[in-house]
Amino acid sequence: MPQRRGSAGRRLIVLGLWLGLVASVLPWWLETPPGSVRGTDAAVLAAGRITGLVAGYLLLLQVLLMSRLPLLERSIGTERLARWHRDLGATVVVAVLAHTALILVGYAALERRSLIDEAGLLLTEYEDMAGAFAAAGIMVALGLLGIRAVRAALPYELWYYLHLSSYAVLLLGFGHQFTHGQQLFRPGPVRAGWLAFYVVVLACLVWGRVVAPLRFNLRHRLRVADVVAESPDVISIYLTGRRLDRLDARGGQFFRWRFLTTGCWWQSHPFSLSAARNGRWLRLTVKVVGAHTADLRDLDPGTRVWAAGPAGTFTAAHRTRQRALLIAGGSGIAPIRALLEELPPGAALIYRARTPADVLLHRELDWLAEARGTDIWYVIGGRDDPGPRQVMSGRGLTQLVPDVARRDVYLCGPPGLIEASTSALRGAGVPRRQIHLATFEL
Amino acid sequence: MRRAVFAITALAASTTLLVVFKGGPAATEVAQNRPAGRTGGSGTPAIAGAPPTGPRSGVVPTAGTGASRPAAPRQTGKAPAAPPPARKAPAPPANTPFTVTGPIVTNNFGQIRVRVTMTGSRITNVTAVALPRGTAESSRRSDSVDDRYSGNAGQAVSRQGANLDTVSGATATSDSYRSSLAAAIDAAAAGRRG
Repeated sequence: MPQRRGSAGRRLIVLGLWLGLVASVLPWWLETPPGSVRGTDAAVLAAGRITGLVAGYLLLLQVLLMSRLPLLERSIGTERLARWHRDLGATVVVAVLAHTALILVGYAALERRSLIDEAGLLLTEYEDMAGAFAAAGIMVALGLLGIRAVRAALPYELWYYLHLSSYAVLLLGFGHQFTHGQQLFRPGPVRAGWLAFYVVVLACLVWGRVVAPLRFNLRHRLRVADVVAESPDVISIYLTGRRLDRLDARGGQFFRWRFLTTGCWWQSHPFSLSAARNGRWLRLTVKVVGAHTADLRDLDPGTRVWAAGPAGTFTAAHRTRQRALLIAGGSGIAPIRALLEELPPGAALIYRARTPADVLLHRELDWLAEARGTDIWYVIGGRDDPGPRQVMSGRGLTQLVPDVARRDVYLCGPPGLIEASTSALRGAGVPRRQIHLATFEL
Repeated sequence: MRRAVFAITALAASTTLLVVFKGGPAATEVAQNRPAGRTGGSGTPAIAGAPPTGPRSGVVPTAGTGASRPAAPRQTGKAPAAPPPARKAPAPPANTPFTVTGPIVTNNFGQIRVRVTMTGSRITNVTAVALPRGTAESSRRSDSVDDRYSGNAGQAVSRQGANLDTVSGATATSDSYRSSLAAAIDAAAAGRRG
């Protein structure tokens, strides 16, 4: 059973990120004498500089959040990182647009030109500024792509590769900060510090995306051992490798898997481990929903596997209470099953499935229930059937598990179940920090 | 989404707050970068135009020195139309270096002021006391003008006058520099005579 982790690490990181924001605007504050920002033009220019510094910082922060640095993945968690990235994304786009517009208006007023003349001048005469405009354009396009409806309409892979062009924003927007940034163009500590932040973020990116996965895969050299059908549309993939006894993954965590066959190598998909580590094999349990997962049924034993991870805070180490309630929906049982092995005895499990045939791993679950003193309720039926609806309401949950408000609740399943259960749990008095989510979409 | 709206609102609010803080009616000793109501630059006292150093300095152009300047630059308008009041200094002995500080010339980018060191009737050194530094770009332009014109090996010394080549990409600053320089040279000549 893992030690409890606590949230001190996460709080420290968040504090550091806020301090970074303050530090990025501080040079402006120190260099601008009090009372010097008078009149509309000066105010516009000052606001343009502030938003520029903020945008520059947030852009790097966006990259840092997606760097897959093991420290961030384990202490903040992939879901939360993705949510922050998403929420910050809108802010970065607005900050960049505000910066562009304010500087344009400010310079035009300073040099007494029309906005169009000034824009032309910036584009043609100012070094690196054409790149900066291109970066702003890409960023706006990415912002539009990020809108939920647009994102849903595009195939995931296309969306993903389009989104990778955000690295071009980093590259194209880099130069103008140092050639024209009022706080950055002079050699000195501010410029050095800003450059150092770039170096740190790039180092995190290289570490999280290249070095750490490389090390992991060279050490463990995972291969497919067997593919087993759990139900007509669910498979379990067993993996073996070297030194699995030293593999540092907790039940409930996931990896991003790349199966190195001709059809699959270019796709990377997140799947949870469906058994806690045992030193001999790993297992993932996957529902066949698309072309990629269908291909996985035909994996040959011996196929090499590239894994990036482990990631996620859906673990026993992140519990805040002694007892837990686990709620699984459909194939969401996979991480729950692994988690169950590492939780203290006395946990309770509610397993939602549409039909009895959709219940997966039930022999293992029954065995675990006996071995670890776990109560399991199988709740079978459609979403609108009266039985499941009654059980999954706030009152129903309280009847099943009277001390639910004093438990950690681990939820994994399709978005509908997660949403409905979260509001039912909040209604039953479970504090938000005791609710742990593993969503299917990252 | 709610968080994003919150973050954007916070960004706008805190930016406004910062700007308002810095615009408060605190100290006023620093000049604004934006152009004042007039473009022709008479000595605005705002800029930190370090007073001429050395015991023999302080010869300042008198009214009408602008007449001998090269053609008035387009952007600066009628440059030093009303130079700062003269502080008469005793005429220096010949062949002893003395400095003359030209008038402040304001253009759309900021303020320019030039100091000339004369030895006898020869210009031996020119330094820029003030140059526009409002943006990184104008700072860079100022540097290129400064590099070309100033110093004891700069164009002003090699040509012994204010008829200098315009630095490309820095027309306005070049013009203003020449205006201030021409006025300073005229003042130096007047000072010698007087």
